[in-house]
Amino acid sequence: MKEKVLTEHFGLENLYKIDVYQKQGGYRATEKALKKMSPEEILEEVKKANLRGRGGAGFPAGVKWSFVPPTDKPRYLCVNADEGEPGTFKDRYIMSHNPHMLLEGIIITSFCVGINAAFIYIRGEYEAIALRLEQAISEAYEKGFLGKNIVESGFDLDVYVHRGAGAYICGEETALLESLEGKRGNPRLKPPFPASVGLWQCPTVINNVETISNIPHIILNGAEWFIKKGLPKDGGTRIFGVSGMVKNPGIYELPLGTSLKDIIFKHAGGMKEGKKLKAVIPGGMSAPILTADEIGIKMDFDSLVEANSMLGSAAIIVIDDKTSILDVLKVVTKFYSHESCGQCTPCRIGNSWINKIVKRIAEGKGKKEDIDSILRLASNIEGNTLCPLGDAAAMPILSITKKFRKELESHL
Amino acid sequence: MSLEFSEKAKKKIEEIVARYPQKEAAILPVLHVTQQEFGFISAVQEKIVAKVLGIKPIRVRELVTFYTMLTRESLGKYHIQVCTNLSCHLLGADNFVDYLVDKLGIQPGETTPDKKFTLSTVECLGACERAPCMMINFNYYGDLDPKKVDEILDNLK
Amino acid sequence: MIKIFIDKDPVEVEEGTTVLKAAERAGIHIPHLCYHPAFPPEGSCRMCLVEIEGFPKLELACSTVVKKDMKISTKSERVVEARKAVLEFLLAEHPLDCPICDKAGDCKLQDYYDEYGLFESQFKEVKEKREKKLKIGKTLILDQERCILCTRCVRFLREVTETQELGVFHRGVHSSVNIYDGATVVNNYAGNLAEICPVGAITDEDFRFKTRSWFLEKRESICPLCSRGCNILIEYHPGFARFEVPKKVYRIKARENPEVNGFWICDRGRYGYSYLEEGRADQIILNKIDGENVLTWENISEYLGEKIKRLYSAKKATGIALILHTWLSNEELFLVHKIFKEDLKVEKIFFADPPQIEADGYLLTSDPSPNIRGALEIGFDIKTVDLDALADGTDFLLAFGPFLSGLFSLGDLKEALDKIKGKVLFSYYSNELNSLFDIVIPVALIAEKAGSLTNVDGIVQSFQPALEPPGESLPEWKVLADLGKKLGIDSKFFEKFTSPDAILGEMGKKITFFQEKE
Repeated sequence: MKEKVLTEHFGLENLYKIDVYQKQGGYRATEKALKKMSPEEILEEVKKANLRGRGGAGFPAGVKWSFVPPTDKPRYLCVNADEGEPGTFKDRYIMSHNPHMLLEGIIITSFCVGINAAFIYIRGEYEAIALRLEQAISEAYEKGFLGKNIVESGFDLDVYVHRGAGAYICGEETALLESLEGKRGNPRLKPPFPASVGLWQCPTVINNVETISNIPHIILNGAEWFIKKGLPKDGGTRIFGVSGMVKNPGIYELPLGTSLKDIIFKHAGGMKEGKKLKAVIPGGMSAPILTADEIGIKMDFDSLVEANSMLGSAAIIVIDDKTSILDVLKVVTKFYSHESCGQCTPCRIGNSWINKIVKRIAEGKGKKEDIDSILRLASNIEGNTLCPLGDAAAMPILSITKKFRKELESHL
Repeated sequence: MSLEFSEKAKKKIEEIVARYPQKEAAILPVLHVTQQEFGFISAVQEKIVAKVLGIKPIRVRELVTFYTMLTRESLGKYHIQVCTNLSCHLLGADNFVDYLVDKLGIQPGETTPDKKFTLSTVECLGACERAPCMMINFNYYGDLDPKKVDEILDNLK
Repeated sequence: MIKIFIDKDPVEVEEGTTVLKAAERAGIHIPHLCYHPAFPPEGSCRMCLVEIEGFPKLELACSTVVKKDMKISTKSERVVEARKAVLEFLLAEHPLDCPICDKAGDCKLQDYYDEYGLFESQFKEVKEKREKKLKIGKTLILDQERCILCTRCVRFLREVTETQELGVFHRGVHSSVNIYDGATVVNNYAGNLAEICPVGAITDEDFRFKTRSWFLEKRESICPLCSRGCNILIEYHPGFARFEVPKKVYRIKARENPEVNGFWICDRGRYGYSYLEEGRADQIILNKIDGENVLTWENISEYLGEKIKRLYSAKKATGIALILHTWLSNEELFLVHKIFKEDLKVEKIFFADPPQIEADGYLLTSDPSPNIRGALEIGFDIKTVDLDALADGTDFLLAFGPFLSGLFSLGDLKEALDKIKGKVLFSYYSNELNSLFDIVIPVALIAEKAGSLTNVDGIVQSFQPALEPPGESLPEWKVLADLGKKLGIDSKFFEKFTSPDAILGEMGKKITFFQEKE
């Protein structure tokens, strides 16, 4: 059972309370990092651990931190808790079960990068979790883990919870910044990258909840230990969220590289009674779909890229044979059309256009040329938009349409 | 404009504004407070918020129409938001919406005449392991079936 | 400077510039809609995508900064396909109502479709319905269906006027530019919105449905309506003989000048163009004339010369009074100064300009005349007309400009002018003021002549004729240069003044301020 890192104590009652958390060794990492390590040593350790971003893009966290330039401006940490990728619910678990682990990660990250104010940008629907976080934050202040002179190290940090208000796009890091500044969630042009020009034009680190939550474990156990939990280029475990037509949907913390087949059939209990596997979305809705024949694949960044898909947020959506792929495509295209911020042309109009075609097919008014149109339009979105949402939409649309073309054509 | 924030809300807003180096950043949290206070955010509320934050009302409107949780119209006492995204769809969200439409006698986007329920369909709520799921005000309910829904709704006064 | 390659050709460009600007300087236009040089790159229209060697994706020309040896392809197949794709998306939700759109002929969407597209629309779905005729300003109409959401208008009101009357509401395909509950755009720069809108989304009722842009001739000029000296384009219809469409000015647009007005002009300058055509004087008026039968432009200076010479003795002219104004060019004011102040030693020199207005804190100044600074630098003391002092002991009045009537009632003017024996007026307009003078000579406006003006900040700007002056009107500098010769006091000095340029050259030699400002 010692395989688990993040979810190890999730079964414990009241783990979200600081006393219970401390009894499990909580805040030891903070003490160690702030008292016994220098920011440079922490950065070195995190870099060595090859901790890749758990939000979807998989960018190495340590490298991201090292991009923060030396300036006199204040620096900020934004924790991306805007969990909106369909199929994804792992951060909800972390924050509701073990908010102090996240806070420890925030404290150590901030100390490492020289940050004195951190914002947890949490999706608006998670109101109860926001309250739990705020409660955890006030406990941490009381115990001297937040505020002035944390654990008598001379380091100061304030942490705030900032609730979104219903916009998938705000999970994109620059849209998140805009939203946090009080604007519409329109992504920014990059460069400049947030590490140098971020929140209020100041250097800003943005990391996902799960990414940050790994930090205390790396500090306590070291980079080598962390890498052994995963793969050399991709340290640590991964919290897989399994949903859809399986017997036991839920979160499963497993080593990177576990096969998709094992996750579905061993860990999640296999298909629901009488259902047969048809397809799997392996990394949140934006990840290109895999057919039932492809589930032998190892669940890590590189293996999935090789299979023209992606690990994304490690959210696995299991689709059964009774589900119409046209319905899946309708749900997918409606989602991206609804969630496009509307700023750039291909995403704004392309996603709406494709959704209009799919809806028309579903109404029984499909035309012979529709499938080619969908492919052409999605290809014209892909790679041509201002932010990754365009690709996030095009990838599943293209893969679903290509891999299930025959079935889609049967509706025309 | 006779409407005003309650003393409690005013205090909360003050506290929120103090967190940010720029006042404008407080707008979403302040809008949450506003919606809680008034139930919705129409032009009157937009202007109050704009005044509090020292911005133009149009800036507030830009946000209210962007973020789907912010509503410009008055909702029922209980806002039922049913997820229709993929995981929930796979487990029968559509049938479930149909059931609610029948039960409440309203279409998604509508409010019952007694102002008790508003029904909405929404994108992924982040509770896919409990599909099909819904939110009533800010409470999550999962693993839904008609029987369970009947129980839940019957318990709402 | 660094070397880059645009479409295989080496180009030397400034370090730190963008691909779009570098290409523009090399004479290659990269299509763009949301980018406007007044604002930071927005990157939302996706029209300016180019291929850069070593980059896996197409990159934005508007925001990508050039690097040494960068190899940029602005018309590769991939680039052309991407542009086509963007155009196809934009046109999918566009009403395609060019035949009734005022922007037709000036529309970038239309131009780019012509250049890259000419494809048949594959869009078979139902287009979004939006507001087609939203009044967003005194003369501005917004058609949300034509809007491509480049947000130039929103950014203009946010960054330039800081008035924020427009915003983007809703999101995704439902996004639309809008005003707040009927609160229209009310600022002195609203007219710029119709101009920066790259498509027909914002049109101007001042121009709407009046003519087609391709009939219009575009000429450069300088706005004379305040002392800012904004650079403008005058757009006029040259007229049709067959259907008897008269020649007419249809609109004024801003012309870029980073030093003076950036990219903008104010609404006073934009919509106040009726002064160009309404009530113009187009022939010499002889109300009272002694001796001569006919007066033409050929003998006007001789006539004036004779008048003046009679009042000139002992190197001094007595009994002469002058009324000037600061719509006169630097060159004209300089000639007046030389002839009347230096040579004739005339003391009674007054100015009659339009009354002061309220400045708007941005471009519009409080002086509704373009050349006050010029008059000061040339050496005039700007004294407003005092009717008693003017009439007292004056035998001959030479008056310039129509602005006297704005300062005094006609009755007061008549009373004062009746005391003066000889009176000549140079005016743009045909109005009651003219009846008080013996002779009225029609003259060209700034838009109709060449010369230079000195703006409020001391910037000397030359201009060329944009329009033909009406009828017999000619510029004052010609009469003045001729008069200088005819007077015979310093004839040689005036001989070389065959153009405003020559005069400005001489000014540079005589007045420090005008050195190197020709």
